[in-house]
Amino acid sequence: MASEFTARPPFKTDRSSALRFILSHIRRHPQFALSMIFGAFTNAALAAAVPYFVGRAYTTIQNGEPLEAIFPFAVAIVTSQGLRAGLQLMRNTSAEVFAQRIERDVRDELYASLLGKSMSFHDSVPVGEIMARVTNDVREINLMMNPGMNLLIGSGMFLVTPLIAALLEYPPLAITPALFLLLYGIAQYRFVRAMAPVAQDVRISFGDMNAEVAESLDGIQVVKGSATEPREREQFDTLANRVRDNFIRQGSIEARYVPQLLLGLVVAAGFTHGAILYNQGIISSGMVVAFMGQLVLFGFPVFSSLSAFSQASLGYASTKRILAVINQETKLDQNTGGFECDPHGTITFEGVSFRYAADSATVLHDASFRILPGQTVAIVGQTGSGKTTLTKLLNRTYDVTEGRVLIDDVDVREWNLASLRSSISIIEQDIFLFSRSIADNIRFGKPDATQEEVEAAARKAQAHDFILTFPEGYDTIVGQRGVTLSGGQRQRIAIARAFVTDPPILILDDSTSAIDSATEDHIQKAIWTAAKGRTTLLITHRLSQIRWADHIIVLRKGRIVAQGKHDDLMATSEAYRRIFARYEGGHAELPAQSLDDSAAHQPIPAQKG
Amino acid sequence: MGIFGGIGADKYDRQYADTFLFRRFGVYLRPHRRSVIAIIGLVMLFALIGALIPVTISAALEAMEGGGSDLFLFIGALFAIAILDYGIFWVRRRLTARVIGDVIGRLRKDAYHAALQRDMVFYDETKSGKVVSRITSDTQELSQVLLIGSDILSQLGEFIFLFLLLINYEWRLTLILLCLTPIVVGTMLVFRRLARTATRQGSRAMALVNDNIQESVTGISVAKNFRREAMIYREFADVNQQSYRINFRRGFVLATVFPTQNFLAGFAIATLVYVGASFVIGGSITAASWFLFIQAQDRFWFPFINLSAFWSQLQGGLSAMERIFALIDAENTVIQTDHRPAPELHGKIEFDQVVFRYSTGDPVLNDFNLTIQPGESIAFVGHTGAGKSTIARLIARFYEFQEGQIRVDGQDIRTFDLASYRSRLGIVPQQPFLFNTTVMENIRYARPEATDAEIEAIAHSIGGGEWLETLPDGLQSEVGERGSRLSMGQRQLVSLLRVLVQKPSIFILDEATASIDPFTEMQIQEALDLILKRSTSILIAHRLSTVRTADRIIVLKQGRIIEQGSHGHLMQMGGHYAELYNTYFRHQSLDYVEHAKQALEAEPGSD
Repeated sequence: MASEFTARPPFKTDRSSALRFILSHIRRHPQFALSMIFGAFTNAALAAAVPYFVGRAYTTIQNGEPLEAIFPFAVAIVTSQGLRAGLQLMRNTSAEVFAQRIERDVRDELYASLLGKSMSFHDSVPVGEIMARVTNDVREINLMMNPGMNLLIGSGMFLVTPLIAALLEYPPLAITPALFLLLYGIAQYRFVRAMAPVAQDVRISFGDMNAEVAESLDGIQVVKGSATEPREREQFDTLANRVRDNFIRQGSIEARYVPQLLLGLVVAAGFTHGAILYNQGIISSGMVVAFMGQLVLFGFPVFSSLSAFSQASLGYASTKRILAVINQETKLDQNTGGFECDPHGTITFEGVSFRYAADSATVLHDASFRILPGQTVAIVGQTGSGKTTLTKLLNRTYDVTEGRVLIDDVDVREWNLASLRSSISIIEQDIFLFSRSIADNIRFGKPDATQEEVEAAARKAQAHDFILTFPEGYDTIVGQRGVTLSGGQRQRIAIARAFVTDPPILILDDSTSAIDSATEDHIQKAIWTAAKGRTTLLITHRLSQIRWADHIIVLRKGRIVAQGKHDDLMATSEAYRRIFARYEGGHAELPAQSLDDSAAHQPIPAQKG
Repeated sequence: MGIFGGIGADKYDRQYADTFLFRRFGVYLRPHRRSVIAIIGLVMLFALIGALIPVTISAALEAMEGGGSDLFLFIGALFAIAILDYGIFWVRRRLTARVIGDVIGRLRKDAYHAALQRDMVFYDETKSGKVVSRITSDTQELSQVLLIGSDILSQLGEFIFLFLLLINYEWRLTLILLCLTPIVVGTMLVFRRLARTATRQGSRAMALVNDNIQESVTGISVAKNFRREAMIYREFADVNQQSYRINFRRGFVLATVFPTQNFLAGFAIATLVYVGASFVIGGSITAASWFLFIQAQDRFWFPFINLSAFWSQLQGGLSAMERIFALIDAENTVIQTDHRPAPELHGKIEFDQVVFRYSTGDPVLNDFNLTIQPGESIAFVGHTGAGKSTIARLIARFYEFQEGQIRVDGQDIRTFDLASYRSRLGIVPQQPFLFNTTVMENIRYARPEATDAEIEAIAHSIGGGEWLETLPDGLQSEVGERGSRLSMGQRQLVSLLRVLVQKPSIFILDEATASIDPFTEMQIQEALDLILKRSTSILIAHRLSTVRTADRIIVLKQGRIIEQGSHGHLMQMGGHYAELYNTYFRHQSLDYVEHAKQALEAEPGSD
């Protein structure tokens, strides 16, 4: 499968189905899987040994033998349970290693595949959803193995051992446990079937209620401001009642857990059968005692297999979701044999159209323009008009649907992807900094950059001064686990980051808003410095940058509705003119524009409080 | 959500005595008292039957060996017990689910209703997410605990019945059984403590992995831009391996629990077998009774092992209850003295010697006086903390002031019915909030009776409805959670249209600072113009254009009005406003647009 990044995989897994995927992971640790199964069997067998020895001791007593004759049975019980504990420890440890390794490996595999996915994947899937796959779903696979499978196999053995024990003691005794197994299977199946939709209703209704609370409290100011509390209250009450009804429904299905009845009946029936055989003189009373003790072992699967089963099925569902992510096609590949050079920075769009998927709407229609090396282009338009999409075709985050995008007159699809991307630097709208030092963030694209290079870049990006205001200076940790920076500061660090790699093409999606004019000065200065000497595409809201760009592209509904210089657009574009007209209008109505202007009006004297 | 989520106490939290909590909870049970009594009866009956099972088996065994005809009686009893046991379980469980469902439902509603009643001061001090978890998760936890509690109660009952029965058979053997119990339970407790420590370490290691992934997935485009995937992968692989090692250690501790328990059980049975046998030989009990003790062994321990396993969960249930009641009991600071319905207002607002202090005691407004005429639009400007938003919040009655009076149309705002008063206000917060429904419903939010046609007309009156173009289904487009599918500008536009539909007497705008594309910005301005024409407007302005359109600019400094007038006048004065202009608004002027490039390029930069 095509991938933008390949981590050297230490192993190969079968990704054709969830079951095969799990099996291929299991197969990597056969020793632990076997030890788990072996441990489960011996555990059940040794548990069955207790009633056996108790039965023997019972017979011994009934035969009137002395106390010394009982002693070996007590010793046998302790020994067998010691052995059982030892084997169980081995089994549980194996299960743990097994489950933890699978969790680690699946996460590793999923993560590597995420790194290899194209940006079109990452743009379309929210981080929260990816996090849910990588954390919860991967953890569910762990839990599916242990306790899930471990318990399922373990309790499964407890279903078998009473049957085997009965067969060994006196085969006809096996009738009762066999009948139990049959009925238990049916009852359990029906229970799970009845429960599944109700459990889902409970989950969904709870989720709905939670969403309603979260939303209305998050927007409490609007709720209060609009005085709509009664409406919200009514809505919540309806949802809360639905949760209650489903909870009660679930409770009454749980109450009807038939295996519980079967467990009581199997003991009664087993005893009856045993008593009849005893009365006919076929078996001893000790055997009846042992048999009873073994039937009681059914209690374990009756009470535990349900949670084990649901754990296993949850894990299976998680596996499917993980696989869906891993198997999602990513169209672009690294094209390592492609064209490589240090471009001058000519950008040409030839009749470019684009849509995200074959069945979705076209977001860019027939866009054509040519930008010469060193020019600064402002791309303007409303949100959703296709500005960001247009820039994403340049570094092949997406590939065009129709037409061509050329850099230095070579189609981007013919470029070596690594070479193409290293000639284009993108500063996105949401500027992301890693949780490491400012210096390391600036040298992110060139890890061997010296401190001097880093500082020079920061100076050019107008970031040096504010960096020095931190006590740790360039060693200040930023991001999730460090200092919080303002949007403007993050933007300037990102610009410094671009300076270090010095790309011939820069794409800057600028939506930071300066709270004050001094910051605005810094940001603008940084951007103009960055634009100098390279081809620069600016997606910007700043009128001054639009005003002074070498070329302006106005987008509306994915179409270029106007392009040219400021003066051209003032002449040709009505929408463009209106923006500036509003400013000039405001300008005209007020004579006092700058500080040193003097006018005759006297301000109203301030009221003193 | 983390392991420790919700542990940090909130300001309104209080300590309740356990007895108080139970009494308080009892109030919720009172409407179901018949069911509760029935449940208690059934729990006891269930326990008694549970205790009778081993007794009946051993009696039946004796009868079998004795060869008497009463064997059939006991066999019948065994079947009857099995059916009865199941029947009682069924009825009890159903009844319990019904009572818990109802009680928790009631509690949830009370908690939510209380949350809606809390004033804005409460929400300033508390994250709404934490309040949500009290209403939904804490109540959920409580319902789980109630279920578990009823099960454990029945197991304890069974233990007591069994104990009373056994002591009649052979008191010494009963005593041995009783003495073994603390050993088993004690060992389990030690393990639980070990497991807890290991679990905490495990979750911490896990959290590191999650942080790492969260960060790198969020920053994936940067990593890809600079081709640094391999480095990122290496860092991940390291923490992943580390988490594996630590979580394996945790698993190992947990893996020892059941083997130990089983071994101890084996030891206990062996003891019972041997000592019991000596009593049988000594003639003090029959062999069948001896078997009774062996059967009874795990039933004796079960409730205690369960109790120790669920102890922390039971404790958790109590603190959940405490948190829920704390939310219900939290007090408001905004208090109305009367409930007069607010008529259609003209919108005259008077501040009369108003004093407002934060709960910390720092004064924000001191002896503040201001009269705003009906229909007037006022822009408040000043540095952060000057008191701009406080004035807006006092008018909206989100905060309580300490002294003075605020009058609207000559009427003390403390005497209004809050809901009817607020329905006369149109408030647009700095972060516009949209509900997860269509654009249309969001615009309609404050006036549900507005017709579709009315909303369409208003939506299209702005910029010819151009802003609707980029929405997939126009007004019927879903906005997503908190409006996430809309751009910032579109969200602002929707919340302004909401006010336009509402036609309030008083309009309060805390202007957003986010930058917006010039096309949408223009439409926002148009919507704003329309509102300003109709209502008395309180503007906390961040845009130069908004400041200029206001009838009057009020310049605040440390809670005082130091200048007021129009933009032109104030600029002339060259006072605080001129300074504020230079600090906050200069870059929004056309002058700046026209000259910025040359000015900034000419200026020697720090490079």
